[in-house]
Amino acid sequence: MIVALAAVCALVLPACDSNGGTSSSTTSTTSASDAGTETTSAPESTTSTSEVDDVSSDELVTLTYWSGFTGGDRGAYEDLIQEFNDTHPNIQIDYQLQPWDTIAQQTPTAIASGSGPDIVTPDYNVSTILEYVANGLAAPLDLIGDGENQIPDGVLPETLVDSFTVDGNLYAAPANFATLMLYYNVDLLGEAGYDVPPSTMEELREYAVELSDGAGQYGIALADHSTIAVWPILIWSDGGDLIKNGCSALDDAEAVSTVETWSSLIRDHQISPVGLSGDEADNLFAAGKAAMEINGPWAAGTYREAGVNFDVAPVPVGASGSPVTLGSTVPMIVSATSDHQAEAQVFLAWWLSKDAQAQLATAAAYAPSRTDMADDDAITSDSLAASFTAQVPYARLYLPDQLKFAQIDGDIFSPAIQSATQIGDALAAMQKANDQLNEVLGCE
Amino acid sequence: MPLPSAPARKVRPLRGLTFLAFLKPQRSRRRQSSRNHRVAGLLFLLPGGLVITLFVIYPVLQSLWMSLHDWSFFRTTQDFVGFGNYSELLNDPRFWNALWNTAVYTFATVPVQVAIGLALAVFLVRTSWWSVFLRSAYFIPVISSFAIMAIVWRFILSADVGPTASWLRQLGITPVNMLNNPDLALLAVIMVGVWKNVGFTMVILLAALQGVPEDLEEAAVLDGAGPWQRFVNVTLPSIRQALLFASVIAVIASLQVFDQVYVMTSGGPLFRTETLVTYMYNQGFRQYRAGYAAAIVWLLFILIMAASVIQLKLFRYRDVDA
Repeated sequence: MIVALAAVCALVLPACDSNGGTSSSTTSTTSASDAGTETTSAPESTTSTSEVDDVSSDELVTLTYWSGFTGGDRGAYEDLIQEFNDTHPNIQIDYQLQPWDTIAQQTPTAIASGSGPDIVTPDYNVSTILEYVANGLAAPLDLIGDGENQIPDGVLPETLVDSFTVDGNLYAAPANFATLMLYYNVDLLGEAGYDVPPSTMEELREYAVELSDGAGQYGIALADHSTIAVWPILIWSDGGDLIKNGCSALDDAEAVSTVETWSSLIRDHQISPVGLSGDEADNLFAAGKAAMEINGPWAAGTYREAGVNFDVAPVPVGASGSPVTLGSTVPMIVSATSDHQAEAQVFLAWWLSKDAQAQLATAAAYAPSRTDMADDDAITSDSLAASFTAQVPYARLYLPDQLKFAQIDGDIFSPAIQSATQIGDALAAMQKANDQLNEVLGCE
Repeated sequence: MPLPSAPARKVRPLRGLTFLAFLKPQRSRRRQSSRNHRVAGLLFLLPGGLVITLFVIYPVLQSLWMSLHDWSFFRTTQDFVGFGNYSELLNDPRFWNALWNTAVYTFATVPVQVAIGLALAVFLVRTSWWSVFLRSAYFIPVISSFAIMAIVWRFILSADVGPTASWLRQLGITPVNMLNNPDLALLAVIMVGVWKNVGFTMVILLAALQGVPEDLEEAAVLDGAGPWQRFVNVTLPSIRQALLFASVIAVIASLQVFDQVYVMTSGGPLFRTETLVTYMYNQGFRQYRAGYAAAIVWLLFILIMAASVIQLKLFRYRDVDA
């Protein structure tokens, strides 16, 4: 037992080496290079745009795709991949679902050793792809353009393209794009005399206080750890930020004021339980014990099943006067050691086609990853999908360019919020976090 | 007068290593045959030896090697840093916080677990239908998935949606969410840890109690010893080895505590329940600092070795058959 514990870390490497059977394969005798795909294990390998024409040769190529979409939206992804396989007889996707932790642990060494997947969603944190790029594990995407089998970077949200671009090269395509909205319990708001959802942060706070009875019902469920980022939205909406000009902005007046205001409401008026994790907040709303919650489209199905009479509204506008919400995306990258980078990019291009995006949006209420589909019939005919899509222009990513995302979020920002809500003294908590963040960022 | 011949060299029995007897050189006239036996024995050891080498010895040595590097899963070449990870650890307040939490968890869990396990074993030592039922009931948590049980306990302890909260509210008591409270979260984790493992201790001690010779008990009764005196002077000494085993296993398991902390609190709130293994997980698999995580594991390894040796010394030093 002792030995096994000591071996925990080291076991990762042999485990990664033994995940064989996941590399891509061709069933024809034609070599990949014959098919026009430049086959090289060098990370800087590229495939010329003209090679896309050769992708549709008679050769059958099977691409391995590792993904961690095991939640309620799993079926939507699986259906879409089945659709691709049905319509592309020469390129088949071997879709392998794995827990996110497993993907995080195994993918880098698997790609480096050449036994990894051709396509992978390395993490739900956007910044992780920077590690892959920095270490030459992600292939640059160069089948870019408006044509069929080309990745339409011109219609992707600018914030995503910026986050996926390193040194002028695009390295990822969005597997999904979600925006966050304010879910509200129509019945609870109605009982309190509110016919419409709050449209400003001031109203949101007023509603939250009014809807909290101190006996188990809360105005809002505000999670502070193991959750999609909600507190950054509150800070952004009041004009604050986490990082400005490469250094911490956590002790700026706007950020401190926001955290102070909300944490005092939590402590003094019990508008939300303290220390909630994301799933605890979801459970609270699903149980009808929280009147409001800021969440993504994936939660709608759960709330519907729980029988909650809910609707969604844009995140209320704060002191900044500008609407803002969180954009959440999971990047897909192509392995730098894949023998079939061109075919993998064909899949990414198809995934970003209007038809595929419409199917994903209606199946899982995600906003399309394209900015030219807001008026698409498939979107406008689905009120939930239309609502989330309408938030795309206001969506910001959370720490998208931070290599040390996990440390900043888990060790600095979340504890600061927990300290402010659990212990009080938001100013001290934010100042401490500010110092820690500056140390991580290398600022004075 | 002939000199006395040197006393014959005492042959020391192999004591516990008899399975390796074939390795000892034989001075028999059938030397060739014995060599064949040795070769055959080595061949029989080979499969097991290979498995142990590949899956135990190599990973352990590899983790030691990793701890001497700034190891990243992303890189194919790693920077050697010597004992840099270890010196950083010793100056890392999060490490000391995790060590403290682990120590508190261990010192709180082990004595309570052994005491309750012993009490249950004594209470249930006589076989009857209800004692069999209760033994099974107490053992069920041991064979249940800790991760699943931790989710169940999170639900039970929830101050908002759990059954406990509902009952307390009906009684007019405001429930406290132990798992989200920095002062109570570790206590909740300790309680669940005891609940989970007490059945294992009970079974070990139950088996030992059933092996206590009845004639010793009868002799003590004839000498006029009361129930408590018999328990202290006859029963406890008779099950000392089982107590040692149960304690050592409990300490090792407690120092390695991970799954219920990970599921119940994720090490929070404010790192108040973060243990050495959850911190190792955070560093290795969240922040991808594999070398640093390996250093944590090696310090934990040394800690467990030290704790085990101390326990063995304390329990065994006057053992008649040591």
